[in-house]
Amino acid sequence: MTDAPVPPREDRGPVGWVTAACYLAFVGIGFSLIHFLWPTPLLFSLFMIVGQGAFGLAMVLYAIAIVIDLKRQKVL
Amino acid sequence: MHADGGLFSGSTENVMRWLAGAGILLGLSAGAVLLFVLVRKPEWRITAAAKWTLLVGVFVLPSMTMLTGNVVGFHNTKQSCLQCHTMDPWVSDMKDPKSKTLAALHFQNRWIPDDQCYTCHTGYGLAGNVEAKMGGLSHVVHYYITGVPPVIHIHKPFAVATCLHCHGESMKYQKIDQHADPEMKPKILSGEMSCFECHASPHPRKKS
Repeated sequence: MTDAPVPPREDRGPVGWVTAACYLAFVGIGFSLIHFLWPTPLLFSLFMIVGQGAFGLAMVLYAIAIVIDLKRQKVL
Repeated sequence: MHADGGLFSGSTENVMRWLAGAGILLGLSAGAVLLFVLVRKPEWRITAAAKWTLLVGVFVLPSMTMLTGNVVGFHNTKQSCLQCHTMDPWVSDMKDPKSKTLAALHFQNRWIPDDQCYTCHTGYGLAGNVEAKMGGLSHVVHYYITGVPPVIHIHKPFAVATCLHCHGESMKYQKIDQHADPEMKPKILSGEMSCFECHASPHPRKKS
């Protein structure tokens, strides 16, 4: 054990959550564009399940990022 | 120019074409905003400018894209029942001029002018709730992976409300004594009693 001071961890706040939300929203948009261009029942099912699922998850992560940010600013 | 009345006609097909175009534009715009956010330094993503950009790129534009996709896909899917050969025996019966099943009578007499399958089977919830997504997933799995079962059943009893939606208020329906019978009426309205206990079967019982 050493008594060397531990460097303070860099507070990046909600950056990780926001980045993940962006990637998931990208997936959702990708599926919707594919489904617009090739409107088949299979691609519609994938859009409804994978695309909208990814977008829904992106919204949840985005909401978490907002809450973290508000807590950081001591608004909440 | 399109055969169905031109680029600016108000036909449903044309409106859907425009909506699909708008959806593509919205999706591309959302993608561009997201790309702009993702190529910046991560620390930028919590600046005040980023918050407004993210509101547009993660929430507003993608939400509009998803909504447009739902409407356009939903419209196309209403017409897609016939695309799987699985349903051929039922569709053949519906279009058979000699058939006396309820589905055939509704089709032959144009009581339901368009989207005949969907109009009666709205209970599948194509609008996109979680139940509809799971139903759609199971159809995809059956069709592409596990194979279609030899005997197909409707996944839950047919809702009486679907019949009553069109027939319930009609004079012809209300004139029938049994429909107004104080003992039967509550059973019909609650769905406890099916229309098909008295009326002909809507489809052939088995594949033919």
